Amino acid sequence: MEIAVVGHNDFVIGFRLAGIRKIYDTTSDNIEAQIQSILNDRTVGILVVHNEDLKKLSPQMQRTLDDSVEPTVIAIGGKGESTNLREKIKQSVGVDLWK
Amino acid sequence: MAIKDNIKPTRSELIELKKKIKLSQSGHKLLKMKRDGLILELFAILEKAKDIRAEVEKQFAVASQKLAIAKSAEGVVVVKSTAFALKDTPKLELESKNVMGVVVPKIQASSVHKKLEEHGYGIIGTSSRIDEAVDSYEILVEKIILAAEIETTMKKLLEDIEKTKRRVNALEFKVIPELTEAKDFIVLRLEEMERENTFRLKRIKG
Repeated sequence: MEIAVVGHNDFVIGFRLAGIRKIYDTTSDNIEAQIQSILNDRTVGILVVHNEDLKKLSPQMQRTLDDSVEPTVIAIGGKGESTNLREKIKQSVGVDLWK
Repeated sequence: MAIKDNIKPTRSELIELKKKIKLSQSGHKLLKMKRDGLILELFAILEKAKDIRAEVEKQFAVASQKLAIAKSAEGVVVVKSTAFALKDTPKLELESKNVMGVVVPKIQASSVHKKLEEHGYGIIGTSSRIDEAVDSYEILVEKIILAAEIETTMKKLLEDIEKTKRRVNALEFKVIPELTEAKDFIVLRLEEMERENTFRLKRIKG
């Protein structure tokens, strides 16, 4: 399996330097369609996106990405993913353990 | 109550209900233990998840900075051409392990952090700034892989905790009380029938 990275040009070029081939340089308009096609790709194990791009997606797509295990979605940059996990912990355990 | 309308007040029904109550109680106890066990597992992984998330964010900031320096010093074209010259791509292998009935992934990666001469681009043609950027992005990818494993494990554990919690609550507050109520109803009804029978016999005798 491979790692895929989706985002704007400045974000993805660094990952290209690390040897990742599945790089999708997209603008904010077509990012949702691109992510959908990656979710259907069985060879992708981890999907890396920028938090700012993640926020621009539709709530439905955000939920799909939150729940996705294969591929696992990792959002980096800015602030966001930890709050998602935090919400999940609060919902499941009933206490905010992420402090 | 609807449950009372659907049950027949017979001894066999009573025995059946008693069996069901016993089964539900033991199931409830087991599920409660499973829930507590899963929460303990979650506690163990939570600290790791927090640390790795902080590390990823830190490494991303460092890597972005190094890339920006490389871009400004060497130019975007050189950075891009170096990026396209790379040969090896990190490969992932997904295995699974079982944590209290929850299947969680175990991700193993190969050829992420490489030596300078193994990158695939010419060392003479590129500067140390690009090497540093490549290096820090490779470290970032390694950390991302680790974070992916831990965060997926956490998501799966949380999902299962929620499911188990719902089951425990359903058994504790819905299934067991309803069954107990039905059992009490049958006991009362049988006693009533017994009394009616005794009274009838006495009347016949009299």
